[in-house]
Amino acid sequence: MTDSTERWGKPVCVPGDEDREQERGSGRGLAGSMTDVDIYMDNAATSFPKPEAVIEAMADFMRNVGASSGRGAYRKALEADKIVFRARQAVARLLGVADVLRVVFTANATESLNLAIKGLLSPGDHVVTTSMEHNAVWRPLKAVERTRGVTISQAPCAHDGTLDPADMEALLRPNTRLIVMTHASNVTGTLMPVAEAAAIARARGIPILVDCAQTAGVHPIDVERLGLDLVAFTGHKGLMGPTGTGGLYIRGGLDLVPLKDGGTGGDSMLEHQPEWLPDRFEAGTLNVCGIAGLGAGARFVLEEGVERIREKEAGLLRRLLDGLSEIPGLEVYGPRDPARQVAVVSLNVRGVPAEEVASRLDREYGIMVRAGLHCAPCAHKTIGTIQRGAVRISLGYFNTEGDVDQCVRALARIAGRLSEVRLHADRS
Amino acid sequence: MPFLEDIDIAFIEPCVADPGRVRLYAEPSRDLAEVLPYLNAVINHATYNKDGPSLTFMKEFRLITIYPRRITMSKAQNTTDAWQVLDWLKDLINDTYDRRGSITPVHGVRWRPTALQIYEWLPRTNCKACGEPTCLAFAVKLLLGERTPQECEPLFLPEHASLRRAFFEIVAAFGYPAPPGYPAPPGT
Ligand SMILES: Cc1ncc(COP(=O)(O)O)c(C=O)c1O
Ligand code: SF4
Repeated sequence: MTDSTERWGKPVCVPGDEDREQERGSGRGLAGSMTDVDIYMDNAATSFPKPEAVIEAMADFMRNVGASSGRGAYRKALEADKIVFRARQAVARLLGVADVLRVVFTANATESLNLAIKGLLSPGDHVVTTSMEHNAVWRPLKAVERTRGVTISQAPCAHDGTLDPADMEALLRPNTRLIVMTHASNVTGTLMPVAEAAAIARARGIPILVDCAQTAGVHPIDVERLGLDLVAFTGHKGLMGPTGTGGLYIRGGLDLVPLKDGGTGGDSMLEHQPEWLPDRFEAGTLNVCGIAGLGAGARFVLEEGVERIREKEAGLLRRLLDGLSEIPGLEVYGPRDPARQVAVVSLNVRGVPAEEVASRLDREYGIMVRAGLHCAPCAHKTIGTIQRGAVRISLGYFNTEGDVDQCVRALARIAGRLSEVRLHADRS
Repeated sequence: MPFLEDIDIAFIEPCVADPGRVRLYAEPSRDLAEVLPYLNAVINHATYNKDGPSLTFMKEFRLITIYPRRITMSKAQNTTDAWQVLDWLKDLINDTYDRRGSITPVHGVRWRPTALQIYEWLPRTNCKACGEPTCLAFAVKLLLGERTPQECEPLFLPEHASLRRAFFEIVAAFGYPAPPGYPAPPGT
């Protein structure tokens, strides 16, 4: 498992895998001792660590360029423009978007979803969504319900988060103006039938907005082939960039009302936001430093290959699910099948509150996971955990099999069943 | 290693013919003189001016002129658009260079601008100082060779400095006599 580490260059925060195993074997884990080596398994919140190239691109920008993009004719400003363009190009390539101009940068997926939802829906419109959405979708929808009288229908998903596209189709009305759905749940990892939904949307001439926060960079998505109209992504998860970066793909011919108005650089004479992309939606000085990092992250993903990243994460997920299935007293939610989900798993230890499990994993085993509702109460309602929440383990490209085994052992310990369990990791 | 590794934007300003768009100079990482006649063969509606040498053509609504050491583009939508088109051009140049063995170079004019296109780079005031009733009429006569670019005197007013630069650059690209010093060196 050293391949990714080599490719990635010298990681700052994580020693080589052998070192990690040694340190963990002696100083932590089953002994329950505190240790200075951490295992990060909260990649669904934000990916960590970041490729060294991301840090370098940001430092290089801060140190050597510094200028804002689109605002001047001097060479440093042009360099900043180029950095932004190359980032846009890398993201477009990853998403399967031919025209780079259709990718608009925002601060995060939340802003992108707000722009799409609030920029498209008018009073009297109807919108169809799913029962697995993040608040980044659900709250903007509730906001336009209140302020514009937009009506919302939520297609019911099964307990494992899966959606039957027919259940979505059944909700469409003559005034349905938008279908919005996540590509993968941030609670159960469940992959949603985006291709089927897109076909349904296309047949009815209804735009479809897909929230790719959990999939961009870790699961292939071919936006133009699928015929998606709007695609929101965030820069700091699978795209490996820094926080405060994200964007929205907007299909040609689809216009939105901008979320904000203001300076865009070259066209100062105009009294309104320009009509052309991306400037129309990028008022204000861009987060060029962040975008420099996002560009480096996206290029890292392109070089590694999304397929390869997906494969590695699926392998780790398989190992995790196998391990978890051997621990009695666990409730594991979601499809429990790497082919049908991204590397996110939610679970509960019977009799132990989720917050306590997460806290013990951190304090006793140095394993960072997240407990609670994960900004997705709809999804927790769907899987039946709205009252107690769940513990979410989300793996990333830089996790190792050793990390997964440690996590499984720690959970077995917390579940109080270690002696009864012969772990997969111990047999192999 | 590709023939042309990089094209870098060196100067960008609002487009004189259309203030909502941008005009820019870019610098190729190597001399493009030898590939111009091949590009002329590959791009259907281009004009090769052997005296420049230069190659001028429209890419949709954008007007592009390639000189050996410089590329100018007018009416790009914005910087992002410009970068995207320059990437396309770089790939086209590299592909043309790779296939040059099977391309017959063309040294002639394959396309001329219309009077309306020329008109966009004139002051558009219809002041009649040139003796023509309108700027469009002047553009028509210019294309017929009955007028020279210098005869539009208002172009030489200080407020028309960038228009003048762009105008002479374009007429020079089409082989019309332009005043000495045009096309102007990069970044001026
Ligand atoms: C499914 C989903 N949508 C949207 C978001 C919002 O992303 P961000 O916080 O970067 O705006 C997240 C993550 O937080 C998410 O998991
Ligand atoms: S002198 Fe120039 S501006 Fe005046 S009418 Fe003739 S072409 Fe137009």
